[in-house]
Amino acid sequence: RMNRKKGDKGFESPRPYKFTTHQVVCINNINFQRKSVVGYVELTIFPTVANLNRIKLNSKQCRIYRVRVNDLEAAFIYNDPTLEVCHHESKQRNLNYFSNAYAAAVSAVDPDAGNGELCIKVPSELWKHVDELKVLKVHINFSLDQPKGGLHFVVPSMEGSMAERGAHVFSCGYQNSTRFWFPCVDSYSELCTWKLEYTVDAAMVAVSNGDLVETVYTHDMRKKTFHYMLTIPTAASNISLAIGPFEILVDPYMHEVTHFCLPQLLPLLKHTTSYLHEVFEFYEEILTCRYPYSCFKTVFIDEAYVEVAAYASMSIFSTNLLHSAMIIDETPLTRRCLAQALAQQFFGCFISRMSWSDEWVLKGISGYIYGLWMKKTFGVNEYRHWIKQELDQIVAYELKTGGVLLHPIFGGGKEKDNPASHLHFSIKHPHTLSWEYYTMFQCKAHLVMRLIENRISMEFMLQVFNKLLSLASTASSQKFQSHMWSQMLVSTSGFLKSISNVSGKDIQPLIKQWVDQSGVVKFYGSFAFNRKRNVLELEIKQDYTSPGTQKYVGPLKVTVQELDGSFNHTLQIEENSLKHDIPCHSKSRRNKKKKIPLMNGEEVDMDLSAMDADSPLLWIRIDPDMSVLRKVEFEQSDFMWQYQLRYERDVVAQEEAILALEKFPTPASRLALTDILEQEQCFYRVRMLACFCLAKIANSMVSTWTGPPAMKSLFTRMFCCKTCPNIVKTNNFMNFQSYFLQKTMPVAMALLRDVHNLCPKEVLMFILDLIKYNDNRKNKFSDNYYRAELIDALANSVTPAVSVNNEVRTLDNLNPDVRLILEEITRFLNMEKLLPSYRHTITVSCLKAIRVLQKNGHVPSDPSLFKSYAEYGHFVDVRIAALEAVVDYTK
Amino acid sequence: GSKHTTTPADNYYLARRRTLQVVVSSLLTEAGFESAEKAAVETLTEMLQSYISEIGRSAKSYCEHTARTQPTLSDIVVTLVEMGFNVETLPAYAKRSQRMVITAPPVTNQPVTPKALTAGQNKPHPPHIPGHFPEFPDPHTYIKTPTYREPVSDYQVLREKAASQRRDVERALTRFMAKTGETQSLFKDDVSTFPLIAARPFTVPYLTALLPSELEMQQMEETDSSEQDDQTDTENLPLHMSTDDSGPEKENASVLQQNTSLSGSRNGEENMIDNPYLRPVKKPKIRRKK
Repeated sequence: RMNRKKGDKGFESPRPYKFTTHQVVCINNINFQRKSVVGYVELTIFPTVANLNRIKLNSKQCRIYRVRVNDLEAAFIYNDPTLEVCHHESKQRNLNYFSNAYAAAVSAVDPDAGNGELCIKVPSELWKHVDELKVLKVHINFSLDQPKGGLHFVVPSMEGSMAERGAHVFSCGYQNSTRFWFPCVDSYSELCTWKLEYTVDAAMVAVSNGDLVETVYTHDMRKKTFHYMLTIPTAASNISLAIGPFEILVDPYMHEVTHFCLPQLLPLLKHTTSYLHEVFEFYEEILTCRYPYSCFKTVFIDEAYVEVAAYASMSIFSTNLLHSAMIIDETPLTRRCLAQALAQQFFGCFISRMSWSDEWVLKGISGYIYGLWMKKTFGVNEYRHWIKQELDQIVAYELKTGGVLLHPIFGGGKEKDNPASHLHFSIKHPHTLSWEYYTMFQCKAHLVMRLIENRISMEFMLQVFNKLLSLASTASSQKFQSHMWSQMLVSTSGFLKSISNVSGKDIQPLIKQWVDQSGVVKFYGSFAFNRKRNVLELEIKQDYTSPGTQKYVGPLKVTVQELDGSFNHTLQIEENSLKHDIPCHSKSRRNKKKKIPLMNGEEVDMDLSAMDADSPLLWIRIDPDMSVLRKVEFEQSDFMWQYQLRYERDVVAQEEAILALEKFPTPASRLALTDILEQEQCFYRVRMLACFCLAKIANSMVSTWTGPPAMKSLFTRMFCCKTCPNIVKTNNFMNFQSYFLQKTMPVAMALLRDVHNLCPKEVLMFILDLIKYNDNRKNKFSDNYYRAELIDALANSVTPAVSVNNEVRTLDNLNPDVRLILEEITRFLNMEKLLPSYRHTITVSCLKAIRVLQKNGHVPSDPSLFKSYAEYGHFVDVRIAALEAVVDYTK
Repeated sequence: GSKHTTTPADNYYLARRRTLQVVVSSLLTEAGFESAEKAAVETLTEMLQSYISEIGRSAKSYCEHTARTQPTLSDIVVTLVEMGFNVETLPAYAKRSQRMVITAPPVTNQPVTPKALTAGQNKPHPPHIPGHFPEFPDPHTYIKTPTYREPVSDYQVLREKAASQRRDVERALTRFMAKTGETQSLFKDDVSTFPLIAARPFTVPYLTALLPSELEMQQMEETDSSEQDDQTDTENLPLHMSTDDSGPEKENASVLQQNTSLSGSRNGEENMIDNPYLRPVKKPKIRRKK
């Protein structure tokens, strides 16, 4: 071993060698017709032990022609065990057997264990050279034919040259999958500098990592070679490539940033990327650190593997994120993608990870700073709503599958040490995980970062990030001193050490609870008010025996809104204490006329007549800041939920109240929901949620409901003409809040049912009129999403057909209302062929509606229509909708 | 063509033409011709007439160009020069010895144009129109009497009409498309009640899905420009008020200056952008054989 001291914080490579200077990747021929690639790589290797006689590298699906070590021919063996996972095993055909065999196969080539598919014998002539620990140059010629992964070719079948056809190719894949397109050490922990060369058709552009040094024509002037240099040490897994006849846009705000898109889309690219510089500014400001690379490239490609993929100094996006200024709904989604990609540039690309079990730190930090960007850009309401949404998702997933473990520790590789035996797959490798598990893993990681922030403050949190970044950037500028480069790798222990150094706080219990073990907390809360003692008796139970749960011990915040104000209490949740006595501050109903002070200092008038005369309690919230990964089921009376909805200013509390009110179909709930719907200051997502709750309540109250159908008069007042209330105003979507409400209300109204459990005729006619009078001519924005949701509304109005003896569905016995709906769907779907809408949202809604009609027995259940829309060549959203409809036949 | 009844105007033109014919004949005689075919004489007459007419037309234009109504000698001279005629040879030619003198054509009366039916009083010239300009035409030639109905302006009716019109057009169009192309149907027994235009895959599906349709582009431009107009209007408003004294010219000048400086700086910036993807592609290095 080298002169490594014990306790050295440096990183121990699993390999008996490491890279110095750089790796060369040269792809000198790309054939779009045959979907093939020819090239070579040259790795400079520095032995760290004497008698190194074998070098293991990663390579999948490449054909290796020739390997030379220091210009001497070298023998090599290529074996990819994942190609045949079960080795003709015919007896044990079960998931468990496969899963174990697959995990073993992935382990056998795991670069982080020093393994690889390609094993090169060092020629005996060089053994002496190796014993002197001198540099080895490994030169590998390879080719790739019709790759099944890692590199994706998009070649439209039409006339013209490849450039005219918009043919392109790009690297893609899940986690470390660079081995799919060139031999390398496919690990996030093996850093080196890079020289990348791509020779492509003169009409094409090759975009890759680092700085484009020069572009040179070949001698026949028909091709050109793009020379890239990446001087920041980077893992092979963060190397990427995109080649195509791209249109080039230099960012007008930052000239070192270049955007690329497919032909004809430049106007959309201009609009879509016009916002990116603000994201840059935000991250650089909060991290007090400049963007680490000297340039940044965004490439928008078709048939993207994922919507956003971040690589060193470049990101590959789906072309479907591009949009014009007329599109409302896609804009925030695309901006989120841009912001996510940029966050991962700092944490994920520039700073890489030491091992797979440290992945949570990178995903956590990038997700956390992305959250900060979201808070700043879309506001605290949107941020809290998002956090709640993510929390609900992870809680639901863990309760369903039995836990997501952020920092697994693996002992010895024996299966009984598996820290996640409840899963049907191994979590030892990124490649053995289920996709859904990994999505939830990322979700949990950023939520846990937020918990750490709650514990140590945001200021310290950002200081830790800054420290990680500045250490890394110092290390990255050290040329030829690759032992320093391990500072660019983050580990769980290093991260935690940094936190303790910066904040001086011990967060070990928090880490133990949420990082070192899996599971979430399930609270059940109820209360009683003891009038004599003026005490709130709160009972908090936990379920920690169900799968995916864990026991929580520690502080828990409870907020009680009383007549005299809002009060925070911190309870200590301990082993055997379920009951907590909380003294109340106010006597019931003492000051009748006084305004009620809220948590945020606001003082409001409330109609207190609904209250329990004996109690000063307006509402109670458990863990209002979401500082525990938990699910809370809390019982309080309907009027308390109504007060909470009306007067609590936290959007999460409002949403919780709305969901709780579904169980209380009373006129008072109806009034509370209607008032929220009308309140313009109220967060639009809360108002949207209130629509659906109101529909549910109206249905439960159907026998006593008075007045027009729920929301109808409100919609009329907000969106219809003053003089002729049956006609909707011509569209004007300048106010996005009311736009979203206008879209949602009809969808919710269509869920209304009368005493016969049918959608009221009045509602159906109302929706049909909205479609009829829809007029977008004066609108600055496209109405494609609005029209799509009107179709969704039509689908929501459909109820099961009354069927006599399973008669065959024909036109003659078609329900007249369904006839009207079909008329609209036919027209919409046909108009899409002539004037297609953005992302074909209308086709998608029509297909979904047709499936609903089939499922309810109005139209013969025939999948042929969906099969034709599912074919290759339709827009991806349409294909997905069609495939979902086809899959629905199996349900 | 004397078999037809002739009007005085016709007579006048015939007489003029006859005189021209005599001129052509005498010029031919002067040039030494003894006889000529009628067709040749006719052609030459036609040419002479065109030439003289062109001199007249052109001279008139020159005189009107300098805001006069009567041509002067210089107008004629300029015209002749313009037509490629060497004016200096004219006096000598006029005084040549062998020239033949033609008797003046018999004076016939200018034809009288019959007076048009006058209806109503012609409007007198307003003071800024000089007296030599023609009079206003009869009022009945420009006075209009609208006879159409009041347009429908009732909002509800308009919206109703627009909606049903659009629906009819869309229905007719899609039905036509469905009839003339491949269709799909939701009902096996019926293909005509709800005909769906068959789904056809695209070679490049993202283009139609992402690019705004031409209609939308047009709409966007319209709303954009109207918005811009609004903006500039409101922006200009205070400007007008504050620069009341300096007058409109000065204001225009300052706006112009601003514009040029803006575009200038932008151009400058563009020139300064150093982005590796904008750099020219290098020529290959010539390998030297050792």
